[in-house]
Amino acid sequence: MNRSDPIFHIIALIILVLVFFLIWNFTNLIPDAKGGNTADRAVQDTLSIIYGHLYKMIPICCVVILLSLAVAFFLEEWLPHKSLQYRIIERIIAILASIPSLIYGLLGIYLLVVPADKVSYYQLTIIVSLLVMPYTIQSTQKAIQGVDISVREAVYALGANRWKVITGHVFPHAFPMISGGILTAISRVLATAALIIVVCDWKIPESNSTSSFGFSSSVVVLLLSALSLSVLSSLVAKNVNHINLNGIV
Amino acid sequence: METNNFSIETENLSLWYGDFQALMDVSVKIPDGKITGLIGPSGCGKTTLLRCFNRVNERYGNVTTKGEIKILGKNIYDSDISLLELRKTVGMVFQRPNPLPISVYENILFGLRIHSQFRSLTRTQSDEIVEEALTSVFLWDDLKDKLKTRATSLQLEQQQKLCIARLLPLKPQIILMDEPCSALDSEGTLAVEELMSVLAGQYTFLIVTHNMAQARRISDECIYMFLGELIEHRETQALFETPEHPKTADYVQMRYG
Repeated sequence: MNRSDPIFHIIALIILVLVFFLIWNFTNLIPDAKGGNTADRAVQDTLSIIYGHLYKMIPICCVVILLSLAVAFFLEEWLPHKSLQYRIIERIIAILASIPSLIYGLLGIYLLVVPADKVSYYQLTIIVSLLVMPYTIQSTQKAIQGVDISVREAVYALGANRWKVITGHVFPHAFPMISGGILTAISRVLATAALIIVVCDWKIPESNSTSSFGFSSSVVVLLLSALSLSVLSSLVAKNVNHINLNGIV
Repeated sequence: METNNFSIETENLSLWYGDFQALMDVSVKIPDGKITGLIGPSGCGKTTLLRCFNRVNERYGNVTTKGEIKILGKNIYDSDISLLELRKTVGMVFQRPNPLPISVYENILFGLRIHSQFRSLTRTQSDEIVEEALTSVFLWDDLKDKLKTRATSLQLEQQQKLCIARLLPLKPQIILMDEPCSALDSEGTLAVEELMSVLAGQYTFLIVTHNMAQARRISDECIYMFLGELIEHRETQALFETPEHPKTADYVQMRYG
């Protein structure tokens, strides 16, 4: 089985879910010293932290990723590379992408979350956009630039318009690298979220709604998810040249 | 598009890449149903001229064109000309074989699917089209059991023939070839040349080549270009044996280039 086949992606996703539930079961099995149900509460706390923000995070991530793809395709396929606009936008993206996610996380806490005392859609969108967009745009640009020019010319010469070249040729070719970039960007968000939880617990313990056990398992789950996504993205990126493109038009 | 005795006609065609002028007042008439060779030293504008005829070079953004190009009697810069239809009429084969990284079967149908509604072809129609195209380029016997094979895994000669076969379902009237044999060995070159000779009556071929022996073998007429100018355009035998222009004589007698 080729690791870039869709079936591989599905299996990888199943493994991720299994890892998640294994951790859940593991925390359930830890005996409580006082004979109470602290472990159960810890799991509930952990899940409430993660799922509590998931309903906000998923739509925001989807919108931000789609926007990033649109920006990357606009830059590479429409804007002339020698134009001033291209050079300015590319430079800004490069600067934003080079800033460590830690900085964005701390900025998010101290400029947005702490003063407001609760996380709103508006604040989450800004943090996630800063974390995800520059990296996703850059990786998508590189993926588009990596598509074989001679084959692209052949598709144009067969009469395809720009839209058909992008949807029928460039995107399917670049998809493994694009998906790798997106997974890495999401893993950055998760790792930063873990960091934010650690800092929040340390800095503002009174605002922490979870037990210390729930806090540490949240961090572990987030870091494991980030690590898994990062590994998955590198596996996807390794198989850039082996994508199956049957019936791409 | 109406037809006349010339498939391609240009009148005072000039082209600039930014500030650099690559073509200078080129006026040429390419006869219908024949093989015309384009020869000249590197950088003389052969490929640029070829790429003008299906307007592929416009993709680069910094290209300025002046003059007139008529394909089958119609100016290709007229506002009512569809670029998609133009590229359907004028097929192109590139220097390096560039089949799409999909199956042989899908490669043949690729162009047709671009120009028709999604899934408008039945399976039987598709099968017939694929067989006809591969038979035309003498690949059917070799590939009839390998239709699901990825096209990029074929031999280079087969890949280049497949690139020609890919054009045929679109029923082009002109096929532009940009050094189609430069990546092939002598057997592959011979196979592609034979294929061109067989198809010559049905299609107008315009071939760019650095190989003068090849130009002499396969072309009916030959054009010699130098530094963006068309120096001489005559029947191949006459151009090689009794060149009128001293620059042509120097080139065909291999004094430079």
